[in-house]
Amino acid sequence: MLDYPSAAVRAPLSAYEAERATLVEKAEPAPLVELAGIRKSYGSVEAVHPLDLTIRKGEFVAILGPSGCGKTTLLRMIGGFAQPSAGTIRIGGLDVTALPPERRPTNLVFQGYGLFPHMTVAQNIGYGLAIRKTPRAEKQRRVEEAMALVRLEGFGDRPIAKLSGGQAQRVALARALVMRPDVLLLDEPLGALDLKLRRAMQEELRRIHRETGGTFVFVTHDQAEAMDLATRICVMARGRVVQDGDPETIYSSPATMFVSTFIGEANLFAGQRCGGVVTLGAGPTIPDPGEDGPVVCVVRPERLWIDAGVEALSECAFRLAGVLESAVFLGPFVNYTVRLDGGESVTVSSREIGLRTRLNAGDRVAVGWSISDHRVLPHEAP
Amino acid sequence: MKAVLRRGLLLAPSTAIFLGVFLVPAGFFLVVSFWRVRAYRLRPDATFNNYSAVLTEYWQPLAFTLGIALVIAVVTTALAYAYAYFCRFRAGRFGMAFVFIAVITLFGGYLTKIYMWKTILGSSGILNSALAALGLTDQPVTLFLFNPLAVVITLVHYTLPLAILPAYGALRGVRDVDLEAARDIGAGPWRAFYDIVLPQTRLGLLSAFSLTFLFAAGDYVTPTLVGGPHTSMIGLFIQSQFGHRVNAPMGAAMSFTMVAGCLVTIALFALILRRMTRAVP
Ligand SMILES: Nc1ncnc2c1ncn2[C@@H]1O[C@H](COP(=O)(O)OP(=O)(O)O)[C@@H](O)[C@H]1O
Ligand SMILES: [Mg+2]
Repeated sequence: MLDYPSAAVRAPLSAYEAERATLVEKAEPAPLVELAGIRKSYGSVEAVHPLDLTIRKGEFVAILGPSGCGKTTLLRMIGGFAQPSAGTIRIGGLDVTALPPERRPTNLVFQGYGLFPHMTVAQNIGYGLAIRKTPRAEKQRRVEEAMALVRLEGFGDRPIAKLSGGQAQRVALARALVMRPDVLLLDEPLGALDLKLRRAMQEELRRIHRETGGTFVFVTHDQAEAMDLATRICVMARGRVVQDGDPETIYSSPATMFVSTFIGEANLFAGQRCGGVVTLGAGPTIPDPGEDGPVVCVVRPERLWIDAGVEALSECAFRLAGVLESAVFLGPFVNYTVRLDGGESVTVSSREIGLRTRLNAGDRVAVGWSISDHRVLPHEAP
Repeated sequence: MKAVLRRGLLLAPSTAIFLGVFLVPAGFFLVVSFWRVRAYRLRPDATFNNYSAVLTEYWQPLAFTLGIALVIAVVTTALAYAYAYFCRFRAGRFGMAFVFIAVITLFGGYLTKIYMWKTILGSSGILNSALAALGLTDQPVTLFLFNPLAVVITLVHYTLPLAILPAYGALRGVRDVDLEAARDIGAGPWRAFYDIVLPQTRLGLLSAFSLTFLFAAGDYVTPTLVGGPHTSMIGLFIQSQFGHRVNAPMGAAMSFTMVAGCLVTIALFALILRRMTRAVP
């Protein structure tokens, strides 16, 4: 497999120094990419507001956000294709802000791949090595390794026009990986593939990340894909990073109302906070310190309980009554849609299959949740 | 079967025009080029005399024509490619507008452009007036007009839009993302141009060159009007053979020798272009 040397050329270390270095690296690997005060505007459009971001060696970072939120712009600034309006970019401790793409230790897998139509697969993959004047034999070996890594053995002589979408994606990946970049950047890498291929490529990307031990940063608008692949997710909205953390934290403790709805399903109960007590429109009051003003109470569907009446949910701290609109059997769980008496609609995911035989559409039901299962967040205008 | 029939029907009109207006007359004159003229009448024959006469008596205008057409075509192709490159990669959303501006000058017509250059370069022309007004000359400079350079300038100017179109068409086919990908894996801007843009636009270059070369080689109006006595292009001789010298076989032989010369030149250009724009590093 590809050996993946670190970019920094190190002087030989004494045994003690070497051991200490690995200890230090294990405890807190040095930041590989450091964005400081990075900003980008196109005329009056503020594509990326000033932001700081640090990426460590070996991370698999997803930049996740809806279309037009500035993800691609951010990635292109790291790769050298967009000049930041302000701020600095350091990679491996070196300021690369002013460097053109060809002189940065990054490689980008473009959304449209950008495979050279007048070259074969092997020529595409070997082009970067040819520019570096890599000796012929080594070039050939590395091209073959890269093709093996993306499972394209034997495709070397294929013209680009004769590739399927998934194969083209792999060639683009191999062409970037063969350069052994310090950071591999991927712009919507699976966006153009159909669902089945996307699943397969996700698996491949995870394997390649593991085998190369590289640092990957990818852009996506698909929250499931980000959750699936990344060890860390930066959620972006309107040119800002609104939350940055591991997938579990982002799912269980969304920082904003936007994050709670963008990642995973969420039931939102509108309410008002006054003097440290939140009063939901639907009824219950929740003690929750914070700034006075409109808030939402976020409860994940799988955290909600449902039963025939309010009395049946005695363990729940908060209970609301309504009418069951539908129950959809989805295999491992059942999704109930309930219209609350206040008019709001909520979704409950339950693994208790037995419930469904008791509850019928049109029945009066109650939903409820325990005290630790909600999150109160400031209300945001959509 | 039906599809074949339909395709045949669709092609029929253009094929008929091509056959009737081009291939049949050309074939006829190819045959005539081996005939003779006796007492102002065509006599069927199978002689190579016309061709040997062309190569011994007319090799100078032949070579001069190929040479000047080559200069015109190379200059025009280079300028057109640069202009088209600007329109494609530097002019942003105004690219199409710039191409349109260039092409629209074709509507000005051929003779208009020739007379325009006559007005600019002539002894009482704009260039001389300007030089006199600046006090740089006291006599009109007659060097500008009636020489091969005037022909080159005029024909480059006229054929430029014809060359810009295929060049722009080819450059439009080069995707931005390909160039960015090349830069990303280590190519500098020049290298990316040489390895990615040039090989993908070779056909456009060849079309631009061929169009301008053939146009320049076949032209005889421009040399008549701005070329002067030393610009003896083969078109003038062919015209006079068919005209007042009433020697169609000789004219036909000149024409076909010229056609052969043009084909060889274009083939050579294509070969050199291929060599110079290696598709693969
Ligand atoms: N080259 C550009 N010129 C002008 N505006 C741009 C350019 N690139 C991006 N933008 C704008 O910047 C914003 C962010 O775009 P982008 O980074 O492509 O978003 P995303 O990748 O998240 O969909 C959008 O409003 C887009 O219109
Ligand atoms: Mg994008």
